[in-house]
Amino acid sequence: MLGVDVGGTFTDVVAARDGRIEVTKVPSSATDPASPVIEGAGRLGLGGVQVFNHASTMGLNAVITRALPKVGFLTTEGHRDILDRGRIWRPPARQSDTSWRRPFGDAARPLVPRYLRRGITERLLADGSVHTPLDEEQARGQLEVLRRCAVEGVAICLLNAYVDAVHERRLRELVHEELGEGVAVSISSETSSLAKEYARASTTVVDVLMKLIFTGYAHRLDERLREAGFAGELNFADCAATLLPWNEALERPFRIVFAGPAAGTMSSQRFGEALGERNLVCCDVGGTSTDVSLVVDGAPFVDNTFELEHDLIINALSTEISSVGAGGGSIVSISPTGDVVVGPSSAGSDPGPACYGRGGTQPTVTDAALLMGLLDADGFAGGALHLDEGLARKAFVSLDSPLALEQRIGFAFRIAAANIAEEVTNVVLRRGEDPRDFTLIAYGAAGPMLLPAALDLMHVRRVVVPPHPGNFSALGLLSTDLVYYDVRSAYVPLVPEAAPQIEAVFDEMERRLRGRAGRDGEVRRSFDGRLFGQSWETPFVQIPEGPIDVADLVERFHETYERRYGNRFPYIPVQGVSYRVELRVPSEKVDFGLPRGGSDSRSRSQSPRTIELRHFAGEPLEAAEYERSALPAGARLSGPAVIREGLATTFVVPGQTAEVGTFGELVIEAA
Amino acid sequence: MTAIRDLAPAEFEERYRCDRFTATVLTNRFGYLVEHMCARLLTSAFSPILRDFYDFAATITGPPACGWPTPAMSASIVLFTGTMADSVRNTVEEYGVDRLEPGDVIVANDPYRNGTHVNDLLFVRPVFHAGDLAGFVNMKAHQLDMGGVVPAGFSIAKRNVYENGLVLSPRALYRAGKPVHDTWSLIFDNVRFGEILAPDMLSIVAELDLGERLLGETIERYGAAAVQGAMTYACDAAAERMSTALAAVPDGTWVGEDVIDCDAAGDDEEYRVRVTVTKRGGRAEVDFSGTSRQARTCINATPLDAKTTVGIAFKYLFDPEGWFTSGAMRAVDLVIPEGTVVSALPPDGAVFAYWEQSQVMLSAVLRALAQGVGEDAIAGDRGSADIHSANGVRPDGSSWISAAQVGGEIGAYGGNRHGDADSQMLSYQANGIGVAVESVESEVPVVVLRHEPVPDTAGAGYNRGGASMLRDTLWLAPARHHLMSLRYKRAPGFGVHGGGEGATGGIWITDEAGEETHVAGMDDGVYRYPYRVPFWETRTGARLRYVTAAGGGWGNPLEREPERVLRDVRDGYLTIEGAARDYGVVVTGDPERDPEGLRIDLEATDRLRRGR
Repeated sequence: MLGVDVGGTFTDVVAARDGRIEVTKVPSSATDPASPVIEGAGRLGLGGVQVFNHASTMGLNAVITRALPKVGFLTTEGHRDILDRGRIWRPPARQSDTSWRRPFGDAARPLVPRYLRRGITERLLADGSVHTPLDEEQARGQLEVLRRCAVEGVAICLLNAYVDAVHERRLRELVHEELGEGVAVSISSETSSLAKEYARASTTVVDVLMKLIFTGYAHRLDERLREAGFAGELNFADCAATLLPWNEALERPFRIVFAGPAAGTMSSQRFGEALGERNLVCCDVGGTSTDVSLVVDGAPFVDNTFELEHDLIINALSTEISSVGAGGGSIVSISPTGDVVVGPSSAGSDPGPACYGRGGTQPTVTDAALLMGLLDADGFAGGALHLDEGLARKAFVSLDSPLALEQRIGFAFRIAAANIAEEVTNVVLRRGEDPRDFTLIAYGAAGPMLLPAALDLMHVRRVVVPPHPGNFSALGLLSTDLVYYDVRSAYVPLVPEAAPQIEAVFDEMERRLRGRAGRDGEVRRSFDGRLFGQSWETPFVQIPEGPIDVADLVERFHETYERRYGNRFPYIPVQGVSYRVELRVPSEKVDFGLPRGGSDSRSRSQSPRTIELRHFAGEPLEAAEYERSALPAGARLSGPAVIREGLATTFVVPGQTAEVGTFGELVIEAA
Repeated sequence: MTAIRDLAPAEFEERYRCDRFTATVLTNRFGYLVEHMCARLLTSAFSPILRDFYDFAATITGPPACGWPTPAMSASIVLFTGTMADSVRNTVEEYGVDRLEPGDVIVANDPYRNGTHVNDLLFVRPVFHAGDLAGFVNMKAHQLDMGGVVPAGFSIAKRNVYENGLVLSPRALYRAGKPVHDTWSLIFDNVRFGEILAPDMLSIVAELDLGERLLGETIERYGAAAVQGAMTYACDAAAERMSTALAAVPDGTWVGEDVIDCDAAGDDEEYRVRVTVTKRGGRAEVDFSGTSRQARTCINATPLDAKTTVGIAFKYLFDPEGWFTSGAMRAVDLVIPEGTVVSALPPDGAVFAYWEQSQVMLSAVLRALAQGVGEDAIAGDRGSADIHSANGVRPDGSSWISAAQVGGEIGAYGGNRHGDADSQMLSYQANGIGVAVESVESEVPVVVLRHEPVPDTAGAGYNRGGASMLRDTLWLAPARHHLMSLRYKRAPGFGVHGGGEGATGGIWITDEAGEETHVAGMDDGVYRYPYRVPFWETRTGARLRYVTAAGGGWGNPLEREPERVLRDVRDGYLTIEGAARDYGVVVTGDPERDPEGLRIDLEATDRLRRGR
């Protein structure tokens, strides 16, 4: 079983065989992303592999950088500016910032420029009746403009098409007649048949873009894997890190626009299962940012939309992941009133932190960690890079601050930890949960170094550093199921007479899903509803299979609502809005290895080296330094301590203990 | 006083009772705390004004002993946040600090005490720690109805406080966690739409519970002294940032003015807001002397609204990042004469559409400051919230209402040095959600026929303003329309730094027989006064057209790169004629049929531009 995570900088490949986990990293290629995948897979061996799971951030990166194919957008005449409008709102923190523009608006960087957004004479009303019939001559005239502009794809989203697809389907035929069979087309009523035109339109645009980005790539990849001897199933992971056979994924590829970080949540969930932990904060601290997500009662938090940029939303089920600009490369600066500020800007990997010696002059969190003695100048990233303390110090000296040098360094490290702690608290509270019920899984290159220092600020029970923290996300690709899903909108008051209508919606979706999957699996139904008078839905009210019992739906809604909002309004009628079915087909999964025994006498005899840690808490600290691979299960040590391994460093702060668990994990708690 | 950045660690701790590190951590936490309270209310509210328009805000306030610092105000509706620092204090002092108990909720809504208008109900929850009053968590939220002569209150024709709505002096809604029967009865005996107000008010109280829990946990973790010290720190830091930024601007005295067209009593009187901004060193004075007398109908505002708007203008220009705090205005003195349109007095100076007055105040202050800040000046936005509401009865006898959904609510910002402006925003002083056309059409008998920018309307400039937004609606049932349009006489979207002004707007009704009436705006030099009838009635099949005013431009339009002008022609923000007229750029080709075939005639452009 192989998993590959194609990131912007590196392509990570992981393999699980006979209980062993192997990992490798290959630099990514912008021009030929398939090659590093083939190379990495070749290194770990494709022979006998039954399942090959693929995740990539290519789609999101293309959208964010606007390195996009040229597409047209067709909508009801008079409404082409829904893509400029979004949902209007600005980010709260940019309220009075005169430099803010809607990132996808016409005044900034639209995904489809206004002249390629064309209005079509037609109009359906909210009840599905035809107000204006489709004017085919007018439509052909608009398509002629798109043909002249040589668009490669067309997204179609007509108003109220979620009620009736008739005009969209006919328009698609006209597109093929005018622009040729080869042009990629997505229509909103098939891509995402949900009410509210902006999200449906934006989903449809992203869908046609992903068709153009992924179709050729997926075919090439499949072909080259088969040439290299692969004979199993190739699956693509989506925004919720669930898997789809690759050709199924290409039917509605908006789902796979972003599929890296969600895999980290899956990995945590799976590892949590092994540990017997059901409530987890999953925290991936990388170079530029920290991604935080939750597993509650054994399941990740899934949202019914995914936001690519501020308010650029698509109707994709996605693991809810929150990001904060704090990572190893976050830049340290001084505010006008003298506060030490960490991030949100980052030195990235180029030039990187000052200590990389690649021209960076601004101090970063990594520079602080090096000066504190946490990082080993010669052992960084498996020894691939020598870190220069002189440059790190110079960068901190250059800050214009009344603080002493050692305070700047110590504050920078602790503020970085505090920023991450705020985001963790934020994510947990937003979900109405109490952090004291959670175990935090710390991964990503900088996670094990920063997160234990934030333990007391986050109020979580403990921090667990899993094995392979540097490649932990990619392991999630070997921890997930195949999931087919569909969702439909119908505004229906939940009264007993509504049962047949709701049942019909579910039955039809389930029949189609089984047809697409070609096999059976576990069916999960849910609906999004609201109290009469509300406009925001309470999503994911779980309901059982079988005949619809409306009274039961209403009761389940009130329970879900009360958990989320703290109030119960049994006297207000409930309205069903969207109905969702997931068909879950179990797939082979990674085994996190056999419990590691504590009988290795060589490791038991390890006596730690003592190193000096500076600037963390005033006076220098004497800290024990361990090699992680040499620590046996059951070993217990006290902070201050530093535990080193190839791609990460764990820092156990004074007042904490770390214990090596049965799967090789480090469990860090307040002493 | 020593600048904060230069304080030695011991001095810092003495002043703020925590170290610099803790102060930074807590400042961030205060901001998160108020946003949490708002995020949950938005998605659980029933009233369209809350759930779509985000017409509410949350704040934290420190205890009286610390001088009532307000270290964080949510960034929802900016108009509230500036008034809340004062209104929480006014409310609690009048109610009596000594009467407070854990679990209390105090409410109040009087504009002359609290700012904004009667529909905005303030909710205050005292937070106790170890028996001591440690601070307050607060929300102010627009209630769909507060009584008065007009359902939902959305009318600018009310003439006094009695017509305007129920006035609640500070009183307990809950005492020690128990609902106070008298107060609930007083409210629900006087308001409409109780089925919406009741769950909204319960949801707001649930957010106070959340805020109280979060603030309590923070005090538990850091200690009351450190938390209160950090509140003071957050306000001091904001004051210092403002004052430092002011000091960097050359001293001067600048006058700015702007005008409201009329009130609902007649178009015989315009209302002028005049400000004189005097800036010396790190301080400024804003003097409203010369502002018109209070209006005869409820378009007035109060001094707390004036304070808020001045604060917003200063924040945009001098301290644009982060949360608003009660320290922001410390460097600014206000002079406001009594009885003006921004300092109206009861009972006849009625206050409802205070936000329209806030828009005019903002224009006046930004126009004045534009003379002092050079290229940092920001051009005017479209200058009004331009709210439409309508109601009626369907053929089946059921009633419907549409509030702030399909009029001129979405409109342009002005340009600034960072670039062109968005055309589809709310206003400089509001943030909120745009309602989906499909949602509106599923609830209201209306069809939105088109909603798009109008070419050649945006204020020209090196960076242009946003364009006028045109919205046509077709009404499928008889309807009664209420308009709140007060700035259609002259362009509110003023240009800055050499930029041009945006176009003016207007409202038209075409009846079912095709007969058009110019409801509001300028018609060949004649002002069409929209309040010549109490409301506008339409029959099935009538059409309503709104064209909002456009945003102003920034910088000399003749210096705009011809390629950017070409792109605006290609995208339909400019016509070929408009490009030549406003920018001196000659574009050839057919923008509609062959947008990529457009070309710039460089020679002709050069000739045209040199002749200007």
